[in-house]
Amino acid sequence: MTAALPVAARLQRLSRTSHVVGLAVLALAGVGAYVANQQFLRSYLVAFLFWLGLGLGSLALLMLHHLVGGRWGKATAPILAAAARTLPLLALLFVPIAVGLRQLYVWATPIVPETHHAPVHHEVYLSPAGFLTRAALYFVVWIALAALVTRLGAAVAATGDLRRARWLARVSAAGLALYVLSMSFAAFDWGMSLDPQWYSTIYGLLFIVGQGLSGLALVIVALYLLAGEAAFELADRFHDLGNLLMAFVMLWAYISFSQLIIIWSGNLPEEIPWYLHRFNHGWEVVGLILVVLHFAVPFSVLLARRIKRRGRRLAAVALFVLLMRQVDLYWIIAPVFQADAVRLHWLDPALMCGLGGLWLAVFSRALARTWSVPPPRGGNAGRHRPR
Amino acid sequence: MATPSTPPTYGLAASFSSPDDLVRVVRLARAAGYRQMDAYTPMPVHGLAEALDLPPSRLPWGVLGGGITGMLVGIGLQSYTTIVLYPMNVGGRPLFSWPSFVPVTFELTILCAALVAVGGMIWRNGLPEPHHPIFNAPGFERASTDRFFLCIEATDPRFDAAATRRFLETAGAEEVQDVAR
Amino acid sequence: MTNAAATHDESRPPVLAPGATYASVTEKISGLVLSRTTPRWWILAFAVAFLALQVFLVATAYLVTTGTGIWGIRIPIGWGWAIINFVWWIGIGHAGTLISAILLLFRQDWRTSINRFAEAMTLFAVSCAGVFPILHMGRPWLAYWFAPYPNSMSLWPQFRSPLIWDVFAVTTYATVSALFWYIGLIPDLATLRDRALGRATRLIFGVMALGWRGSAKHWHRYETAYLLLAGLATPLVVSVHTVVSFDFAVSIIPGWHTTIFPPYFVAGAIYAGFAMVITLMVPLRRLLKLEDLITVRHLQNMAKVMLATGLVVVYGYAMEAFMAWYSGNEYEGFMLWNRMTGPYAPYYWTLLFCNAGVPQLLWLAKVRASPWLLFGVAMFVNWGMWLERYIIVVTSLHRDYLPSAWGMYSGTLWDVATFVGTLGIFGVAMLLFVRVLPMISIFEVRTLVRKPPSTHRVQGG
Repeated sequence: MTAALPVAARLQRLSRTSHVVGLAVLALAGVGAYVANQQFLRSYLVAFLFWLGLGLGSLALLMLHHLVGGRWGKATAPILAAAARTLPLLALLFVPIAVGLRQLYVWATPIVPETHHAPVHHEVYLSPAGFLTRAALYFVVWIALAALVTRLGAAVAATGDLRRARWLARVSAAGLALYVLSMSFAAFDWGMSLDPQWYSTIYGLLFIVGQGLSGLALVIVALYLLAGEAAFELADRFHDLGNLLMAFVMLWAYISFSQLIIIWSGNLPEEIPWYLHRFNHGWEVVGLILVVLHFAVPFSVLLARRIKRRGRRLAAVALFVLLMRQVDLYWIIAPVFQADAVRLHWLDPALMCGLGGLWLAVFSRALARTWSVPPPRGGNAGRHRPR
Repeated sequence: MATPSTPPTYGLAASFSSPDDLVRVVRLARAAGYRQMDAYTPMPVHGLAEALDLPPSRLPWGVLGGGITGMLVGIGLQSYTTIVLYPMNVGGRPLFSWPSFVPVTFELTILCAALVAVGGMIWRNGLPEPHHPIFNAPGFERASTDRFFLCIEATDPRFDAAATRRFLETAGAEEVQDVAR
Repeated sequence: MTNAAATHDESRPPVLAPGATYASVTEKISGLVLSRTTPRWWILAFAVAFLALQVFLVATAYLVTTGTGIWGIRIPIGWGWAIINFVWWIGIGHAGTLISAILLLFRQDWRTSINRFAEAMTLFAVSCAGVFPILHMGRPWLAYWFAPYPNSMSLWPQFRSPLIWDVFAVTTYATVSALFWYIGLIPDLATLRDRALGRATRLIFGVMALGWRGSAKHWHRYETAYLLLAGLATPLVVSVHTVVSFDFAVSIIPGWHTTIFPPYFVAGAIYAGFAMVITLMVPLRRLLKLEDLITVRHLQNMAKVMLATGLVVVYGYAMEAFMAWYSGNEYEGFMLWNRMTGPYAPYYWTLLFCNAGVPQLLWLAKVRASPWLLFGVAMFVNWGMWLERYIIVVTSLHRDYLPSAWGMYSGTLWDVATFVGTLGIFGVAMLLFVRVLPMISIFEVRTLVRKPPSTHRVQGG
């Protein structure tokens, strides 16, 4: 049984395996890039946004923990920190999007279609130069934040230094504000501008909440897998994480529904096409799947204490949520390219796996360096009956 | 007209000034085989429910039922009135405008669930109950300020006025008193 | 989660001053209610509030007999002060539910000495809010038409209208808040019953306490119910201001129709609500000598919540402004330009100063630790949030799609009178509450006594 190996060694092995698998799948997908250039980029964008969500969501949760504290964060901070350290890799993975800009974004194509009459502002804002400059800026901010927060966090954990702890809280407060702002604009650039006519002020939050949900689900799965035998003793931690997961599932539903009902009720010609594309030609089935499987089912299941307190069951729910995150991003992005039908291309799963392999390799190697099993009940004797 | 099954006293009340002592003695009493007993405290005391071995409340199921009822009522009310009773074209929207029905359905779900939570708690606790024998315990008015009481009831099969009193005193009760019926 | 952030704890003031016992906290809080002498400041404040209440009665009587024309509302501005005040009041209420429900779920022990007071504030603020839409109908005696019931006209409410959603949201919110408040009061009412000296007082508190005797079996079920209510109240409070934001957002008026409105309104509501709690709490803790129970720590934490929600509100402004520019939509662009440079521009910039500028002082730990500075910042936020609703309601309506139908708006004396009147309702209710009911949850403070606050784990969760 693998549990016999020390955790660090298991993580190193996972890192090597996923590295090899990721590269192999990506090489295969590279063939696809020649055969179907445009499809490659479209599939790539969805996969990239999903894995970016894991890294950024973890960074945001880490900062949130350093700001407000909480037992859930103590147990999971090393996992969050390791995931935040994947951001340099994600910056690297952005390169194909930067290179394929003209195939991906209609506003970047040299010949603007007749139907597209762009507002004047787009010449300034939605220009390849502006787009790339901003992307560079986002990554600089994120990578700097991740480096600062993980390093300070490690120092505080090691020394318990109060002054540095206060600094960490301050950096995290400012960092969260910066993250929300930069991610909103990143969402506008990378997702919303696929249809340059369309706009929605809540779009940034849709991504931010989705990333928080992804990060949380990742942490639950990772904590369960790493804790091994100790998973039983972590029931309280899992319970807290389960409650948070439920809160984020509800928040996701809330943000998504808010956008829907406002645009649906207004029914304005510049806004409603977004939903018309997603409510027809088979996309409504994907939408229904999201309502049921991204919201209703996880929500109902997470109402039960019995599920939240058992690492194994909770991890299963979290894994399922991660799958749904991919479906959600697919539903948000893909209809722009193929409103007439839902056509899953082989490159969609291939790139999801390929990028995932590389991401997991970096993540698990970072984690192998820092991981130690958290104490089951650090100073919280006499726990009250939980919800 | 006291029959053998209704003893003259309600029980014996032991009082404590610390919740930890109370919980300890409750555990001892359980171990000694007493079952018909209740503790009275000025605030919820953690660990007490476990010590008394109270079963988990079934209230959550009632609340879930209330919520589902509210949801169904919400969907039914809006669909039936909008589609059948009073169909009207509003801005070209379909009669079954499901996004518009979400807010009211949600509110009714919460309302019914909350009513069950409150009503269920009061009803299952047997409130309002203006009088109860435990109020006869001397000094019981401090049970809502800073005293912690344990009452072993006379209906308990192991109850014996003298032996139980001795048990409570040796277990560490600060005061043990008879509670009149 | 304060407890878990143990590394920070030593540097923070405690949530309960050291040396407190079960008896001392009980004595202190119930003493405020059972004392026979009414403080002079209370009588004075009550007189002022009562006078304002009379203003409300006069204004309402004139309104009902004459019509809503006495207010400044003229087409195109059909929603004036009345709706501004409605949104303002209901937003204020949100902090109460947040403190009592959400902080309970997050096991924040500092909520314990302020939740009761904040819940009362919620209840009275919602009552004040409810007054406005009813009066605004012009024929308030027909308000029951909103209810879905079979009637001789065969009419049913229009469930596709956000105004009907509002009716359901606000009544549910008022009901659940009242239940939550009352359930929380029951054990304390029993304490008052047991401590009251007068026969009549004992009888009244006795009836209200329902015969509560602190039985472990009762507490067990009670805690379950309380947590369930908290779990229900949390999404409820979010839904209420969301529905209020729908009142605006599901229309197609530029400045109203924008998807960020729901979260932005909810954050604004919490922002305004915390400002109001601070506004009331800073003087009251001084006047009632409650500094041991409502410590600087409480004020600091509320300041932090205010800062966080304030930043979300600023985010909302930023997104609105950016999209107005990015979309290239002529009407959106004009709406923003009109706000910034049009006839109501001074209001707009004042609002930004109050809501986005001044509260940035809260980044400084010194400001957060100083009650009266906090009070000052909170006053700016109270005002700023009122102006925000003024800007949303008025500037969006006064110049929309059709220039020939543009107009100007200003409230009349009667608008002011009605608003001042609701301040009177609120003041009278708050003062009575502070005098006749325990304004701090006694039994929950006792749970803080049991364990020293720094290592303490709060009930609930």
